[in-house]
Amino acid sequence: MSILTNRESIREAFDTRKYVIDNELSTVVYLMSKLNKPLLLEGNPGVGKTAIAGVLAAALDTRLIRLQCYEGLDVSSAVYEWNYQKQLLSIKIQEKANRSEAEKEEHIFSKEFLMPRPLMQAISESEKPPVLLIDEIDRADEEFEAFLLELLSEYQISIPEFGTVKAVHKPLVILTSNRTRELSDALKRRCLYHWVEYPDFDKEIRIVKKHRPEIDDDLALRMVAVVQKLRGLKLAKTPGIAETIDWVNGLMALGYDELTPDGMDETLGCLLKSTDDIRRVRDHGVDQLVEAV
Amino acid sequence: MLGFVEHSRNNGLNIGITEAMEALKVADDPALSDKSYFHDALKAILCTSKDDFSVFDSLFESYWSIGSGLVKSKTTYKNRSNLQKQSPGSLVMMGEGKGEGDRETDTKSVSGANAVERLRKTDFSKLAEADVELLEELALRLWKQMSLRMKRRMKSAVKGHKLDLRNTIRRNIQHGGDLIELRMRNRKPRKHRLIVLLDVSGSMDKYSYFLLRFVWSLRAHFESIEAFVFSTTLIRITDYLDVNNLEQTLQLMSLKANNWSSGTRIGACFATFNEQHSKTVLNGSSTVIVLSDGLDTGEPTELSKELKRIHMRTKKLIWLNPLKGMKEYQPVQKGMSAALDEVDLFRSAHNLDSLLELENYLSTI
Repeated sequence: MSILTNRESIREAFDTRKYVIDNELSTVVYLMSKLNKPLLLEGNPGVGKTAIAGVLAAALDTRLIRLQCYEGLDVSSAVYEWNYQKQLLSIKIQEKANRSEAEKEEHIFSKEFLMPRPLMQAISESEKPPVLLIDEIDRADEEFEAFLLELLSEYQISIPEFGTVKAVHKPLVILTSNRTRELSDALKRRCLYHWVEYPDFDKEIRIVKKHRPEIDDDLALRMVAVVQKLRGLKLAKTPGIAETIDWVNGLMALGYDELTPDGMDETLGCLLKSTDDIRRVRDHGVDQLVEAV
Repeated sequence: MLGFVEHSRNNGLNIGITEAMEALKVADDPALSDKSYFHDALKAILCTSKDDFSVFDSLFESYWSIGSGLVKSKTTYKNRSNLQKQSPGSLVMMGEGKGEGDRETDTKSVSGANAVERLRKTDFSKLAEADVELLEELALRLWKQMSLRMKRRMKSAVKGHKLDLRNTIRRNIQHGGDLIELRMRNRKPRKHRLIVLLDVSGSMDKYSYFLLRFVWSLRAHFESIEAFVFSTTLIRITDYLDVNNLEQTLQLMSLKANNWSSGTRIGACFATFNEQHSKTVLNGSSTVIVLSDGLDTGEPTELSKELKRIHMRTKKLIWLNPLKGMKEYQPVQKGMSAALDEVDLFRSAHNLDSLLELENYLSTI
């Protein structure tokens, strides 16, 4: 837990892992361990919400347990499930054994037959506190959100056949949301809240340089300027940081060392992910865009 | 510190005791003694959404910058929802005559069971200006409850399709593990598609303000909802409904939809709908709701023809007419009487109660 004792060490740890972290976020990460609260990250797609969890786990040298939410996600695929095949076999084997029904039942609902899913894994991790990433919580159903409440405040899970499992080490929980629906107040109240914004010009340049240290200064400057400009247009899918990095990688892979309209046209697919957007930008004029910066 | 918490709470931030205690804890932490860090830390604890940020920032500034923490700030921020209500997003109709002076009604002073009952039965068009805001709040709350109820009801209704191994095994231990009795699991029923056609012509002015909000709140219940507004032209507004914030939705809409408060050509608009949208939007399981007073300037035969085409591709066609709430109303206008043959359900939509009644129909879909 050493790096979480103050913000400077958090910043350094993130920095060495190619994540440019600002003051606000480092404060929030610090508070997360200080107050033992989950952190709810909201923001547009592609601004590095999920990456935070990965970097944090790497920095703490601990396990990252990830739960990707989707519509219809239920407890059996998120928390635990019984190993039915094994249970059936076990019942068969015990058929002749001289045991009462109650004993048999107790046996097949013991830990041996339990298959832990991400949430269960997160609270039963025995060595050190893992980082638990609950990704895109806004996609899960409201019932699942309600279920999370117990886990996030008590760090325990109740299994009817079995009893309550309490966390050995409280995991560091990060939830992300794209805000496709409003989360319940109850869930929000249990979390620290942070809104991840698109980076400003300087920050984005630092990010690009972190990922491609060999990049030409002028090229980085111009590419970031173009991206920032594209964000200003009302596109269907606004490019995030992930797209910027993809684009830089793409352009460099093609051997360009300066930003030309041709190069941009060829690599537009790295940056824009819908035909409408691509058409719009082409209509707007790729040349113009490149020359303007 | 507690003063600040109290102050923020009074100004619309949703802060409980846990948050207050955490804020105290943070205030003690030497690692956060720097003001900007302190600010960030409190922000993470006290805010629960991005919308809170601006309110928080100004509260923080006003409270901590002037001398000691004891400053009682004179600035009164109305709570968030009020702030937003004043935005030009509330584009239409009822806003017209509503100057700043009219909005001084204190919400607290007119609440109570009687007022609520009265409001629910008040015709939208006869609403006193002072009540608009109140009714809006009430409506949003009731509609939210409605969609929640509808959800619950649907879940326990259906029989299962899928094998529930967990329960099956449990039941069959008594047979020595042979699977004799099968337990099934319910599949969560899929929400059906709803298409709403809302009349925003001049004659509907008084109603469409609320009906639009109603449409917005329906979105929670239906897996996919398609919404169109029409008067002389038809405009698709579905995309704007996706936005979580109602005021933002209205604002976006006012930018795009420029056909508010003009005349009505229902038949022609429905023809556009059939040509351009019906193939993608309608399938056998969809329900179409038309919200209109049926005062049409076009040819009644055209309306009836187009309605027939819509009806053929839907499960249910519901027409809600605000005028039906009037006692002496008879559907005799040419347009309306032509339409009635094609409609499965013809109801009123003039007050909150009449809209809430729709729940019974929608939940059986």
